[in-house]
Amino acid sequence: MILTGPEITAAAADGRIRITPFTPAQVNPNSYNVRLGPLLLVYTSDIIDACQPNPTRPVPIGEAGVVLQPGELYLGHTIEEVGSDVYVPLLFGRSSVGRLGLFVEITAPIGDIGFHGQWTLMLTPTRPLRVYPEMKIGQVMFFVSAGARDLYHGKYQGSAGPQPSRYWHDVHRDLRREAS
Amino acid sequence: MILTAAKIQAARDSGDLMIDPFEPGRLSPNAYDWRLGEQIRLCDGILDAAAVTRCEEHLIPVTGMVLWPENLYLGLTLERTCSVRYAQLLNGNRHIGALGIWVHVSAPLGHVGHAIQWTLEIRVVRPVRVYPRMTFGKLVFLYVHGDHDSYQQIGAKYAATAGIGLSRLHEELAGRRPGDQP
Repeated sequence: MILTGPEITAAAADGRIRITPFTPAQVNPNSYNVRLGPLLLVYTSDIIDACQPNPTRPVPIGEAGVVLQPGELYLGHTIEEVGSDVYVPLLFGRSSVGRLGLFVEITAPIGDIGFHGQWTLMLTPTRPLRVYPEMKIGQVMFFVSAGARDLYHGKYQGSAGPQPSRYWHDVHRDLRREAS
Repeated sequence: MILTAAKIQAARDSGDLMIDPFEPGRLSPNAYDWRLGEQIRLCDGILDAAAVTRCEEHLIPVTGMVLWPENLYLGLTLERTCSVRYAQLLNGNRHIGALGIWVHVSAPLGHVGHAIQWTLEIRVVRPVRVYPRMTFGKLVFLYVHGDHDSYQQIGAKYAATAGIGLSRLHEELAGRRPGDQP
């Protein structure tokens, strides 16, 4: 079951959901709109290596906006810290942003119960697109969960700003698993 | 929780959801198999979140139309759908996915109270020919938790969209000056 807007508002008030800052005007019938933070990161090497830390370069978004180019991956972040110890959050782009051809996440819309922090956005445009700081870019939906809850305590907990992939943290564990 | 075909049919019969046109044969185990409409808009320029999108509208000929990877296309579902009781999720089906076609770039979500032909945000991996009225994807219905707040009641932008909806994000960015247009 997906939470309705009034239920999201009620849950934000009684602590079942934490959204900081929370603005009632950003509540939709079944989701909450989140805004684009002022900092993007792009990977600087020609080839991204899944098993290595990858250097990044900051791309600040000034008041005049920044043009995102197709073929580039921009890591952005939400201004809002969003999380819940009760419901499962899912982040997607908004229709208004999708109609401009901009992907806001790649392959991982589902968050963990217990994660709290700013969400990293994975921005990839279809056409060159100018974006602006604080524009409402995505929406978070909340699903009711079934079963006992084991809260998230992973490496992205409390994230502030865009977070590059830290798969390399896990790679040795993955390879060990493979070997055993 | 997701409605099964029998429940979708029952909800339609009781007026809790609307699909128009509706063909019972398009019900699959837990979805309705929707079709691609006839209009399509081609966006091949530089876009600006603070400006009106400029893109031309075409009719997809019965002989089909080739979609190209570098472009963004805005399409439309043939069906108009609505539910004030259930939320809706619209996706492509596995045939469309296996052709390398995305049917939306953003969210698959139709908010409670949405009464529309859905605007599709189409992007392709390889050049691919599509045809009007072809079966394109699956629409599922979800139970909601909490009091309802209809899309119409809050006066949301796309509540009564007719035809292909262009982004109206620029309305929210009215204080900003669009960047230099080509």
